[in-house]
Amino acid sequence: MKQAVILAAGEGQRLRPFTVNRPKTMISIADKPILQFVIESLALGGIRNIILVVGYRKEQVFDYMGSGEEFGVNITYVTQAQQLGTAHALSLVKDVVGDEFLVLPGDNLIEAHTIADFSGIAPDAVLVKRVSNPERYGVVDIDGDEVKGIVEKPKEAGSNLVNTGIYAFTKDVFKFTDNILDIPSVLNNMIAEGYSVKALETDGTWLDVIYPWDIISLNNAILQNIEVGLGGTIEDGVTLQGKVVVGEGTVVRAGSCIYGPAVIGSGCDIGPHACVMPSTSIGDNVVISSFTQIKNSVIGNDVNLGPGCFISDSIIDKGCVIKGRFTALGGPSEIRVNDESPSVSVGVIMGEDCQVESNVTVQPGAIVGNYCQIQIMKLLSGRLPDRSLVY
Amino acid sequence: MCGIVGYIGDKKAQPILLNALGKLEYRGYDSCGIAIANKSIEVYKDVGRVKALAKILEPHNGKVGIGHTRWATHGEPSKINAHPHSDCAGKIAVVHNGTINNFSRLREMLAEEGHVLASETDTEVIPHLIEKYYDGDFEKAVEMAVGEIDGAYTMIAIMAGESRLIAARKDSPLIIGVGDRENLIASDVPALLDYTSRVIYLEDGDIAVVSASDVKVKQNGAVIDREVHEISWSMEDAQKGGYEHFMLKEIHEQPKVIRDTLTDYLSKAETAADLTGMGGGSLENIIILACGTSYHAGLVGKYIIEDLVNVPVRVEMADEFSLSGQSPAGNQAIVITQSGETLDVLKAIKRLKANGNRVIAVTNVVGSSVTRAADRTIYTRAGPEICVAATKTFVAQLIALYWLALPYARVNAARLDELVLELRQLPVKVQQVLDNEAEIAAYAKKLAAYDNVFYIGKGINYPIAMEGALKLKEISYIHAEGYAAGELKHGPFSLLGEKTPVVAVVTQDNTYEPIVTSIKEIKARHSPVIVLANEDDDVMPDLADSVITIPRVDPLFSPVVNITALQLLAYFVAKERGCPIDFPRNLAKTVTVE
Repeated sequence: MKQAVILAAGEGQRLRPFTVNRPKTMISIADKPILQFVIESLALGGIRNIILVVGYRKEQVFDYMGSGEEFGVNITYVTQAQQLGTAHALSLVKDVVGDEFLVLPGDNLIEAHTIADFSGIAPDAVLVKRVSNPERYGVVDIDGDEVKGIVEKPKEAGSNLVNTGIYAFTKDVFKFTDNILDIPSVLNNMIAEGYSVKALETDGTWLDVIYPWDIISLNNAILQNIEVGLGGTIEDGVTLQGKVVVGEGTVVRAGSCIYGPAVIGSGCDIGPHACVMPSTSIGDNVVISSFTQIKNSVIGNDVNLGPGCFISDSIIDKGCVIKGRFTALGGPSEIRVNDESPSVSVGVIMGEDCQVESNVTVQPGAIVGNYCQIQIMKLLSGRLPDRSLVY
Repeated sequence: MCGIVGYIGDKKAQPILLNALGKLEYRGYDSCGIAIANKSIEVYKDVGRVKALAKILEPHNGKVGIGHTRWATHGEPSKINAHPHSDCAGKIAVVHNGTINNFSRLREMLAEEGHVLASETDTEVIPHLIEKYYDGDFEKAVEMAVGEIDGAYTMIAIMAGESRLIAARKDSPLIIGVGDRENLIASDVPALLDYTSRVIYLEDGDIAVVSASDVKVKQNGAVIDREVHEISWSMEDAQKGGYEHFMLKEIHEQPKVIRDTLTDYLSKAETAADLTGMGGGSLENIIILACGTSYHAGLVGKYIIEDLVNVPVRVEMADEFSLSGQSPAGNQAIVITQSGETLDVLKAIKRLKANGNRVIAVTNVVGSSVTRAADRTIYTRAGPEICVAATKTFVAQLIALYWLALPYARVNAARLDELVLELRQLPVKVQQVLDNEAEIAAYAKKLAAYDNVFYIGKGINYPIAMEGALKLKEISYIHAEGYAAGELKHGPFSLLGEKTPVVAVVTQDNTYEPIVTSIKEIKARHSPVIVLANEDDDVMPDLADSVITIPRVDPLFSPVVNITALQLLAYFVAKERGCPIDFPRNLAKTVTVE
């Protein structure tokens, strides 16, 4: 199978504020959008003919992925104007797709070998994974390797095998996509019509980002397997330990410590005397001033961190300007999104282009919306909507 | 990024290669060349675009050939460095896209064995390696040569007396177009579409042997089957990466262009002060020369330098300067040209140099004519720009001018830090304008119904009003005028009315109050007013008919965000009117005539 359809049109509302201006697939983990992991995994498996179904904030995908050439693939874009569900998205590729193809979600982290296991299989098939909390997913009922049906988020799961959203189909699938919103329903209907759908179990990585704090744990997981690469200028007196990536044109100034695993993008200015501690990803064109320490966090492009900041277990989106002595340290948090609260310790979750004056402290788990302005000496907690002014 | 093509068949190769190369110019256009094989090999190559090469070529009857178009990111494009490259005997020619990591070792080895390498490029080792291994079997020689190379080696080779092309793919794309009694090879599908819609995508490690009637693909020495795909016409747009037009794609590249240009400048040991050759000295007696959109960048440059450095700056259109009687001496001249080939600018440089002026060029094309004519060059990192109407290169020119002026800024250290911080924040601010595209498109729909539009601005945004008007003229064919807001009452007022809307660029600086007055005067004449204003401006929504919100930045950097909004406005107006946006009538990207 040499062709793949990636569904990348969804918004990901539960990931706000990060999805106000980008689709869920463009959320960055370890300095790469999730979609890039999927595309790179496909390319490694020799699948270079890719159809991307885009919709919500599609320009962000165009701007990053382009023709796909940079990633060794050919991308054809199909637009889903309204996000009416995965089966509707799939139905739109009918005229551009070949006889057999893979279908994948663009917003799950999928490893190359997970795809390699699956790409040899004959359609129709679904890739399943054993998890400990099947009630959150579509539970797959199987007999041998034959799928009997999929039940979405059952109260009581019959098995702990869940649907990864990765399928192999033939063009026959389009007989079932009319007026059906989601692919699991399509599969159930195909089975009812006598089609044989196989299940293949994978033990490969398959990670889903549902809530903002999932970004922190996924970033940590992905960083464990990065390949070391040092670009830019590392001044004398810098301590590097563990797996560290530093991009082109970045300057790491004297006295700074970078303890991997950590990724620093290009064009950054780090230090002097800044500490980047394990499991931290830093975007491009970021400035980190003296005596600032960052641990287990994700910092977006064009962020400017003043001197003496302490940041852990946090996500700070692109373009934030944070003056000195900012403190956002992770801890147990009461914050809830759709009745879910984080199982991990969270510092701050901050949207893009916030202006934060000096000496601001954040209580664990606070969610700060996009474009907020925070005056000096403020204590932030709970949830601030976009464009909040804290005086 | 480079583009490569190959042709073999029953037609003359030369016109087909030139046409196919033209379709690959989005991958680069600073130099190009073709080689055609008969009993011998003829190579034609030069600096410049494919059209220029076509003009100087003598017709050739050969039916086997290869071609290359180049975009140098490092090193000079020159005739000698242009592809194709040949071996010592001139019997083998190669075009290549990629970088060979072990080329110094290979070069040394070849030189020791007596091969003479003429250029500085890594590519040249390939034809010499093929020559080294050739013992009567061209295919085997290419396979052995490829085996020696570490790096990206996507390439096509031809040999005198051989009626086949041999291609190899590693890391960069390569596609075979399967025709009728002819076959083609190219870096991308658009180059093939005039000849065939049936293509084979080569994979990494593939070696393809292509004759007029046959395609054989080998992987690790074994012949394998590669599927033939039928291309639907929509694939032609692949290079636009999802967008309908290059213009919108290029406007959307602006945040990245700013980031790349800044990274390039800020990470260099060389500061702008070193570049001007005046060390810690002062910046004075400045003349800026340019044409068209670059002239508008120059006008913004005048405000930047006068504001930061407090010295007077003269900005002149290059063609006017050449005709005037003056012959200024002892100046620091800055010439701005996207292509580096604008004839009027090149002529002006000659006059400047003859009178002993120092010339710094700001250009987007590495090794273009202007870089040889000027004393020093500052490159903008915008990448190839295809749309005739300049967008991302204008923004990159502004970044170059900010960077040039900053070392001379007469401001204290705190203000300087603040300015550098603001500069680094520009990608995010420009992105916010792009994220607000739908709102701008809605206003554009209204604007598209008018036949005349005035653009007004004040201070540093006066040139932005001119550039906004130029964009509208160029691509939507609506008559537009860019004016300093205060000048409107000295004449153009007579043209205002319900049928003449005004686009006003409002900045939160000392020009704010006067432009509010101007807008009130305009409203009194019943012209619809569209205003570009900061998001926190609560006066404008009551005053203007429509407000396009612009993220707040330091007024010094406001031209960058404002022009992004005006580029989008022009784009969506032209789209609404159904204009051929990327290639407007009567216009060419580079003006190399008077």
